[in-house]
Amino acid sequence: MSLDRTKPLLLPLALMLALELWARLTQLQSDSLAPPSAIFAALAAALADLSIPIATRDTLFATFAGLAIGSAIGLALGIALGVSRPLDRLMEVTVEAIRPIPSIALLPIALIALGFGYRMEIVIVAFACVWPMLIMTRSAVRSIEPRLMEVSRALRLSAPQRIAKVVIPAALPRIFVAFRLSAGIALIVAVTVEIAINPIGLGAGIMLAQQALRADLMLAYLVWIGAIGYALNMLLIVAQRRLFGRAALAGDHP
Amino acid sequence: MSVVARLDEARAARRQKTLIAFNAATLRLGGKTIIENLDLQVRPGEFLCIVGASGCGKTTALRLAAGLYRPTSGAVTFDGEPITEPRREVAIVFQDYGKALLPWRTAAGNISLALEASRVPVRERGARIEALLRKVGLPGHADKYPTEMSGGMQQRLQIARCLAQEPSTLLMDEPFGALDAMTRQGLQDEVLSLTQASQTTVVFVTHDLDEAIYLGDRVIGLLPHPGRIGIELDVDLPRPRDQLATREHPEFLRLRRQLFDFIKATEH
Amino acid sequence: MKRAAILWRVASVLVAAGFIAAWQLIANLKLVSPVFLPGPDRAWAALVRGFSSGDLAGKLIGTLEHMAYGWFAASIAGIGLGALIGSSKMMRAYVAPSLEFLRPLPVSAIIPVAIAMLGLTQGMALFVIAFGAIWPIMLATIHGFAAVEPRLYEVARSLQMSRAAIIAKIALPSALPDILAGMRLSLTVALILSVVCEILAGLDGLGHWVLLSARAFRSADLFAGVILLGATGYVTSIAMSLLEQRLLAWQAAAR
Repeated sequence: MSLDRTKPLLLPLALMLALELWARLTQLQSDSLAPPSAIFAALAAALADLSIPIATRDTLFATFAGLAIGSAIGLALGIALGVSRPLDRLMEVTVEAIRPIPSIALLPIALIALGFGYRMEIVIVAFACVWPMLIMTRSAVRSIEPRLMEVSRALRLSAPQRIAKVVIPAALPRIFVAFRLSAGIALIVAVTVEIAINPIGLGAGIMLAQQALRADLMLAYLVWIGAIGYALNMLLIVAQRRLFGRAALAGDHP
Repeated sequence: MSVVARLDEARAARRQKTLIAFNAATLRLGGKTIIENLDLQVRPGEFLCIVGASGCGKTTALRLAAGLYRPTSGAVTFDGEPITEPRREVAIVFQDYGKALLPWRTAAGNISLALEASRVPVRERGARIEALLRKVGLPGHADKYPTEMSGGMQQRLQIARCLAQEPSTLLMDEPFGALDAMTRQGLQDEVLSLTQASQTTVVFVTHDLDEAIYLGDRVIGLLPHPGRIGIELDVDLPRPRDQLATREHPEFLRLRRQLFDFIKATEH
Repeated sequence: MKRAAILWRVASVLVAAGFIAAWQLIANLKLVSPVFLPGPDRAWAALVRGFSSGDLAGKLIGTLEHMAYGWFAASIAGIGLGALIGSSKMMRAYVAPSLEFLRPLPVSAIIPVAIAMLGLTQGMALFVIAFGAIWPIMLATIHGFAAVEPRLYEVARSLQMSRAAIIAKIALPSALPDILAGMRLSLTVALILSVVCEILAGLDGLGHWVLLSARAFRSADLFAGVILLGATGYVTSIAMSLLEQRLLAWQAAAR
């Protein structure tokens, strides 16, 4: 392994080593910190007794269900508003009024309407995913090469044909970027809802570990949640590169 | 004695001395030898043009003189001292004016950057900026952002910022390469009159042979891969130069022919 | 041209009003149980009542305070750390990858850790909000510093500018659009985390208000709180836009 590849690993390894040494030397007894060895032991145990795998399944189920519903709605609205300028103008105030509501504020409404469980979590995740999808799809559709739209009109394609054969394929790379960002948001919102109130999934697991004063287990959950977030992101980045090449990543940074 | 004749005499007197010297300068970047054993003297007060096919290292030579690169071996000296860092008396005009100007500062702000760097007191800056803008033909454009200006105006602005350094030497890297023909000719004459009046030493890199002969006291042609001197021509054309008369001068045509043959021979 | 824009705006407001009317109709016809869905009239009445009794204003200020303190702390620390890391090649090589690794971490997962360390306190909320809000700002700053046009660094070098001057006059202004975009993202993060912390720790704020309203099935009060949270998001984002317009006037000149 060359030095360039090891450089990024040095800092986390050094920090873990330092924490381990410090914990051992001071005989650390803490509700909030644990040596890395204990964290990884707790992680292994929780993986083995299936508590983490089950929680992961619950969280990911809510994440993906919400993501699917929210991004479908966002995609449809985004295409509609992107294609039709009048519609976009008419909906402007409505969109601008609803969009800034923080997704988590819907939590109590969803709670009294749907109770604890998957459904309320999925609704909140879906609401959060609608907006990035809508905004980015709209701008992707709007920035389609005008010549392409002229071609589709010259070919006398019907509106649905135009959307299916020109608009979506042309805007797809940027729509996928929107989907990737939405997926990240979906996971964040799902975990947040679980931490705040919903007694399922990884968020509830980490809260329980904290309440049981199991610092090792709590931090094991934290590491695991981080790994899930990282894996999801990497998976989608790889998919994006496979599907659209590197060029699609260009418009990534704000 | 006319002003021009006196300037000529002063130039001749200093011609023996050397301001910037490349002594067997070699530069390797990323395993590639860009410049090898380059020996080159720039005399104080002269207008030296460097031409060559693309990849001959002419821009690199300029960056060595600017102190932006250090030679891998050999030396590049200014007034006898090795150049290890950029110095304030040497200003460099980049070709890509669009990248070299601060887009968030107005024309005045961009010139001010050089004054701030030389610690000119705030109250003196306004008058200096105004004078510089007038000098480069941009009066009344102080509050414009670079993006609001044409390419020619942006390049004038960059020149004004370099002049704000009050440099004794101006290094110009294909400064007019991206401009249209008319704008280019106008700027050529302005650079000549600005630098001749203040007797500024100029090293001017270009790929335009006509431009090199038109502007220079001396033209050096570099050979590519790795860069070294291939031809050296003294340009004994009368000054001030004139876009029509100079370009029709038999000597101009002769030099042009000579240089053209040289460049053609280096391209394969 | 200008008149057309105003007309579209009016039409757009009318459409929004139409949606509110539809909401009212649904509520009036009791298509959805009023326990879950109060009409806009009741939500508005609850909003007015909440403000006249002073309760709601206090909650709003509580949330704004949590948000603002956390966000300011995150902005200062984020820009500072981002500049430190972004302006040094070595730091970029050793530190930035770890930060990129942490980027997709759902920041709310840090809440239990913060509770374990600091208890259910204001300090915990502040830590969580600042911790969550620092990432977009810091990463945007690092990115902005790394993306400075190299030619400008050469200009700075040939002017012999000091490191401090280069950061203040070249790198920061050049990275400013990125930094402001990061700060805008962080504003949303700060609002969300404020609400979550208020819900979890029972701190004075709109998050606590909506939770209590939901528990007591006071749906009108609940909606009043949600409307206020939406308004908070809207107003802070407008304020951020104004700030961006002011600071980035030079970008508008390019268009």
